[in-house]
Parts: sequence; C-alpha cells; structure tokens
Amino acid sequence: MSLRWRPDFWSGVLVGALAVVAVLMVWPLYNIFAASVIDNRSGALTIANFAQILGRPAYQGAVINSLIVGAGGMLGATLLGIPLAVLTTRYVIVGRDLLSTLAVLALVSPPFIGAYAWIMMLGSNGWMRGLFTDAGIELPPIYGMFGILLVFSLKFYPFVFLLTASGLGAISPSVEEAAESLGAGPWRRFFKVTLPLVFPAVSSGALLAFVLSIADFGTPSIVGGKVRLLATTAFDLFTAEMGGNPGLASATSVVLIAISMAVVLLQRWAVRRRDIAGSLIRRPSPKRLRPLAAAAAHCVCYAIVLAGSLPSLVIVFTSFRKTSGPVFHPGFGLDSYSRILGEVPQVIANSFTFATAAVVLIVIVGTLIGYILARRDTVAVGALDSMLLVPYIVPGVVMGLAFVVTFNVPPLQITGTATIIVLMLFIRRLPYAVRSCAAILKQIKSGIEEAAIILGASPGRAFLKVTLPLMLPGVVAGALMSFITAINELSSSLILYVGRTMTMPVRIYLSVLDGQFGTASALSTILLAATGLAVFVVFRISDRKEDAFV
Amino acid sequence: MARVELRHLGKSYPGVRALDDVDLAIESGELFTLLGPSGCGKTTLLRTVAGFNHQDSGEVWVAGKRIDDMPAHRRDIGMVFQDYAIFPHLTVGDNVAFGLRNRNRPRQEIAERVARALELVRLGGHSARLPHQLSGGQQQRVGLARAIVIEPQILLMDEPLSNLDAKLRIELRDDIRDLQRSLGITTIYVTHDQEEALVISDRICVMQGGRVHQVGTPWQVYAQPSTLFVASFVGAMNVVADLPIGAGGTLAVGAVPRLVPALAGRDRVTLAIRLEDMTVAGPADAVPPGALALDGAVDKVTFAGREAFYRVRLDEGAQILAHVHRPERQLLEQAGARVRLILPVAHLHMFDPASGRRIAGAP
Repeated sequence: MSLRWRPDFWSGVLVGALAVVAVLMVWPLYNIFAASVIDNRSGALTIANFAQILGRPAYQGAVINSLIVGAGGMLGATLLGIPLAVLTTRYVIVGRDLLSTLAVLALVSPPFIGAYAWIMMLGSNGWMRGLFTDAGIELPPIYGMFGILLVFSLKFYPFVFLLTASGLGAISPSVEEAAESLGAGPWRRFFKVTLPLVFPAVSSGALLAFVLSIADFGTPSIVGGKVRLLATTAFDLFTAEMGGNPGLASATSVVLIAISMAVVLLQRWAVRRRDIAGSLIRRPSPKRLRPLAAAAAHCVCYAIVLAGSLPSLVIVFTSFRKTSGPVFHPGFGLDSYSRILGEVPQVIANSFTFATAAVVLIVIVGTLIGYILARRDTVAVGALDSMLLVPYIVPGVVMGLAFVVTFNVPPLQITGTATIIVLMLFIRRLPYAVRSCAAILKQIKSGIEEAAIILGASPGRAFLKVTLPLMLPGVVAGALMSFITAINELSSSLILYVGRTMTMPVRIYLSVLDGQFGTASALSTILLAATGLAVFVVFRISDRKEDAFV
Repeated sequence: MARVELRHLGKSYPGVRALDDVDLAIESGELFTLLGPSGCGKTTLLRTVAGFNHQDSGEVWVAGKRIDDMPAHRRDIGMVFQDYAIFPHLTVGDNVAFGLRNRNRPRQEIAERVARALELVRLGGHSARLPHQLSGGQQQRVGLARAIVIEPQILLMDEPLSNLDAKLRIELRDDIRDLQRSLGITTIYVTHDQEEALVISDRICVMQGGRVHQVGTPWQVYAQPSTLFVASFVGAMNVVADLPIGAGGTLAVGAVPRLVPALAGRDRVTLAIRLEDMTVAGPADAVPPGALALDGAVDKVTFAGREAFYRVRLDEGAQILAHVHRPERQLLEQAGARVRLILPVAHLHMFDPASGRRIAGAP
C-alpha cells in the first residue's frame, strides 16, 4: 500500500485504537507510577515508598519471596514440561492427544482452583495427607512456599510443554541425524543440538511461567499461609481497613512490573539471534521404545499430566458430595448446586454477561487493530504495537489498582459499575486477541487482497468478501480463548467488584476463605464446564492446535 | 487494448532509489517484459501501474488517460500474481467471476464469460473445485483466467511462473504467450529469468538499481547489449575487464594485435564475448584474419549432453568459458591441454570501463 498518508477508514481506526489504549491503559498506569513517587499527605515528590520497600525487612521479604516464587514456579514448570514434550514428540506414547488435551484443560482452568483443591487433598484435614499419614509418611505442610510452588509448577507446566513440543516438531530430523552421524551420542545430541534449537520455545514457556507466577494473587492468598508476596502485599496495602496506603501499594506494584519487565528483557536477550527457522522437508516421526523404557516413559507422562489435572477432578468430585453448610456428609447429592442457585444466581449471570460483553468488545476492536498491525507499517502503528505489550507484564492486581485510582473520580467515575469490570477484562485481554488476529492476517498474503482490489473491489469490499471470511475461524477461536480467560479472571475483579458486580471467581475465592468448599466446588465446576466447552469448540474449528492456547 | 506511457517515474524508499526517472512507452497489444535482478525496481514499477504503490514523481498514462490518482480498484487492470493469490475460500468459478461481480454484470453473462475463460486456460469442467484441490500450475491458470475474464485494458504479470517447477514453467509460459497473442492484450510482464524474458517478450526492458539500462527486442538485448550490465545479465558472457588500448585503437591482447578503428582515441576498454562466439583451436593453429587469439590451458571440462564447456585459464591469468557445440568424445578428455581461443573481432562487445556503456561491437 502507499506510504503516503491518506486519511481513510483505517487511519480512523488507528486514532481510535490509540485513544482507547491511552485512556484504559496508559492513563491508569501513569497514575500508579505517579502515586508511587508522591507522598500521600504532602503531595511532594518522594522516593520514601521505594526506600521502604527495599529497606524494611517485611517488604524486602515480599520482594525476595516473589523472586523465589517466580523462579521456583518457572523451574518446576520447566522440569515437568520439557520431559513431557520430549517424550511425547520423540517417542510413541499411547494417548498423546489425551495428554495434550488434559494439559490444555489444566492450563485454562483458573489457578486458584488448583490452590484450594490441593488444600482439600494435602491441607491439615486433607484426604491425601490422611492416606500418607496412615502409611506412616509425614508430609510437609501445604501452607506456605511448598504449596505455592507445587500449585504453580503443576499449573504452568503446560506452557513449557506445549511450546516445547511445537518447537521440537519443527526441528528437521535430519539435523539430529547429522549430529548422530558426526558421532554425537543421544545425550550429547540432546544437549548440544536439540535443546539449543528449542531453547527459544522453552524459554518463552519458562518466561510465561515466571511472569504469571509472580502476578498470581489467588494462589498465594489461599495456600500461601504466612508467606508474603508483592502481589498480596499490594492488595493488602490498598484494601487495608485503616484507609490503606495507596503510595506504598503503588510502589509495590511498580516493583512487581519492574521485575516482570526485567525477566521479559532477559528472555529476549537470551534468544537474540536465535530465531532459527530451518526448512522442514521431513517431519520428525516418533520412535518406538523397548518395552521397559516404554512403560517408564508412559508412567512419567501420565503422572505429570494426571497430577496437573487432579485438582479439577477433585473439584468436580467435591461439588457432587452431600453437604449441609460447610460440612460434608458421606454420599452424593446436588446440595452445593442448589445452594449456589438459591444464593448467588446473580454471580453466575454476572460472570457470563461480563465475559461475553468483554469478548464482543475484544473481537471487534482486536480484529480492527490486528488488521492495522499486520497490514500497515508506520510509526504510530509501531507505537501501538509496543504499547500493547504492556498488559502482558502488568499483573491483574496492579491493573485493578490502577483502574480504581483512575476511575474513582470524575471525569470518568465508573467504579462500582459493571462497566469498569468489562473494560478491565477488555484491556487485559485485548493484546492477545490483537496478536492472534495479526498472526492470522500475516498468513493471509496481502496479495490476496490486492487481487480482489485489482479485480475492482473497493478496499472495504475486499476486506468483507475476501479477508474477513478467511480470518473468521481464527477470530472465533481467539474469541473463545478471550472468553476463557475473561470468565476465569480473579485478581483484578477482586479489587473492582462491589456486591452486585461479584463474579464467580470472586465468589469462589471468598467461599474458600470462609471454608465453604462445597459451594466453591460447585461454582468452580460451572467455570470448568464453560471453559472445557470453549476448549472443545476451539479444537473443532482450528484442527486441534494445542499451541493456540499459549 | 491500450498504449501505456510511463513518464519520468521516480520513487524512493528510505535508503533505496526504487525508480529513477523511468520513462517508457508500451505499445498496444505488446508483451513488454521488465527484466532485472531482485531489487532492480521492476516489481515497484509494476505495482505503481497497478496502483498499489504511488510514485513520488512522474505520471502513468493508459490509453490516453492519466490514471495515477485513480485507486487500484477503478483502474481496469488484470493482474497475475507470483503466489497466485487465488481466494482459497471460493471455488474456481467464483474466483474467476469475482471481478465480473464487482462490475455488476448480469448473472447469465458472468456464467458464460467464466466458462469461456476457463476453457481458454484449459480448465473447463473445474469450475466447482476449490483451489486446494488444484496443482500449482492449475492454480496459476485460474489466476490467469481471473485476470483476463474482465477484459482489462492492460494485463500485469508479476513473476507468474517463478513458483512452478521447470516443466510446468515452460508449458504455462507458452500458453501465456499464445493467449496474450490471440487476445491482443497489452501486457507488462515481470521476471528475473532472462531466458523466460527472451522467449516470451515482444520487447524487453532491462533494469538495475531503479534505472532502465536498455529497451529492445529480445534479439537486440541479447546481441547488442547497450551496457555491460545487460551484457552480463542476459545470457552468458565472458568479460575481460579494463584493457589498455594502443595507438590508433590497437588491441594488443593475445598472440596477434588487431586494430579496431572504433576504439581510436580511447585508452581503455572492457571486452565481452558470448561463449558460442568463440572457437577452440589447437595450441599453434593459424589465427584467421580479423580475430584475436588467446592462448591458455583447459582447466576444466563440463559435459552437458548436447554441448560442453571448457574453462580455459589464459596465460595472462584470466579465466574464460568457451562453448563446444556437439562435443565429441576426444574433446571431453582435454583437461590440461593447451588451446588457442579464436575471438572474431566482429563478435566482440566493447564497453567503456568507467561508465559501462557500449562503445562498439557486434552489429
């Protein structure tokens, strides 16, 4: 297209997109940054908040614990994900599709579900702990760092697994055969050739695990016991009963963002000049293992995946147990479901309404922005592209705080409304939709549109008749994925909700804190069912691409 | 059917002069090829005519009308793309009908014209197929049918054969040529393949670095290259760069000096000669009048069936490739042998070493 700037429809879209991003992202985050360096009372510039975080042992501890949680979650996810990826892509594993489906389900289910399911299994009264104790084994307490890392490792391993598996699938077997013919044995081959080639994929999975681990709020506050993290500290500082400390909460948020950003930059630096796109003439085909090795490989694969899926199974199982109030009785029943339908039907309706509204916005805006990103190349488009990276590294807690600070006062006073929750879901998930849409468009060669135009179709008609139909499956898949993340969002909703805008994840979180595991399980099961259905549809329309989920 | 005039077109991208004062006239009904290496500006030029790029300066005229401020979809141009650009979600028939529907032609007429166009590209009966059921060659035939069915004023072809394998390329190349002739449609054809350009074109425009080096018939471009670049880009050419010239235009290279009047008054020349314009003689054979003789040893013999090539290292140091027509067995065992290359002066192309422009040479 022309490099000359001619105002047209797409220029309008670009201006609108920049405005949306400015109002919903730049402005709120700016307020957080501003609050972090301004004294609460005098309004003067100060570094006192940062000095406190880095100087006071309590806050130092939160920084250190967050780093431990990030690194530990990443390490655990990598240690589970890489072997699973290698075994399932390189060797014949029966039920490979089942394994990756379960991994995807574990990935998309909300993390706080994992946290409280593990409490039901390994908490002080957990049945699994009971089994071990009967067998004479005393397990470490689940509350604390051990529990957090257990949940995160099992929650985030699918990122590493799915990304690494698709990376391994893109390595020509000839490369490994070449290494073999040059005298490299299997281990040497793996560490010297295969692993370096999949390093970019492994490291982006590991990066996701790190960033999501330190951003997660539900898991540490449910299972963390006395372990203080930056995300929970920011939340507590902000919502403390004595008016809170917005300056310190903001500074904590800034530190959290800074850590995420540092890790992202570190990963980018580590994979610089590593974008090795080899030509793939032959696809690798899985080898058959000798019986003993095969049995061991199957045990490892199924153990990892089942451990990851165990929380969801426990939840579903629990939701059908007989209860009265918080007490479980032997036998099964629909008590929990009748309770939630009686007590909180509004919460269920809210979740579906908000998620649907957010998805509609995301699809429309995301498709338009994705189109500009893929087809236009100007400074403004580049700026928009980099701005859309920001939500990837800003934790939900921080974004929630930023929204409260910004939209609590005129001109846009919308706190306490459903609108603010929908807008939050929208801006947090918009970049994912934009990116997937841009990726689809980049696969649709621009020559196709030019062909339509040269045949007499106006640019608008070319988009409607040719581009849009080709994009549609990808857009629908993207919309469903946005729906999954929107309906499972906890941390930002927890900050923004008021009684009548409560959502299912918030209700589940509060029920867990109250010890109402029955209602929590029933609500979680509804969430899991909605999520599972969405995953099923994505699989149907996108010829099952597991890596579409990461 | 229309005459195309491109007047003083200029276009720059950051750091690149994509079009440098390109001034061309393409006659009605002509198949006009833009030939050059990648980055020479040929595709930029084609896309400027199509309306996908806008030039910084200059004008585009088609059939006496200036079109360069007209949006691409109103230009009435047919285009065939390198990657086919077939709409993958539409059937073959719907692909071909696309342009006619944009023009709101009656349903009956569309059906007839689509059927006829598909017959023309020998895809009759494939109308209901989806593109992914077709081979690459068939897809490009759909692309061709889709472009000609609208009976455009001009047809643009952007390397239409470069994604096809060798055999299909030759087959489709001949089909395109025949179809273009029979429809008489003014066609601008872009390629980097000099052989394809020679075979298919009425006239060829050789470009490099955004500039036009030569416009001429295939014969002119091959036999009378106007710059050293054209000489070496079109066909295979031996080049002996930057030789000194003696008094009165004497070429003192090889065994016998020769007087070349056209070189009188110059001090240096770059010589070029086609592989097939030399003969390989025995080491002490007599030099025919009007020829240069270069002595050397055969470095390597390459046998390619109906022909063979000698790589000869001259005593002066340069390497020369010579063509051996209808090679016989003993000629293939000549590696290391001394030979004398006979270069008729009449077949030499002579260029100014500084500017690369043709001074004189083969008529």
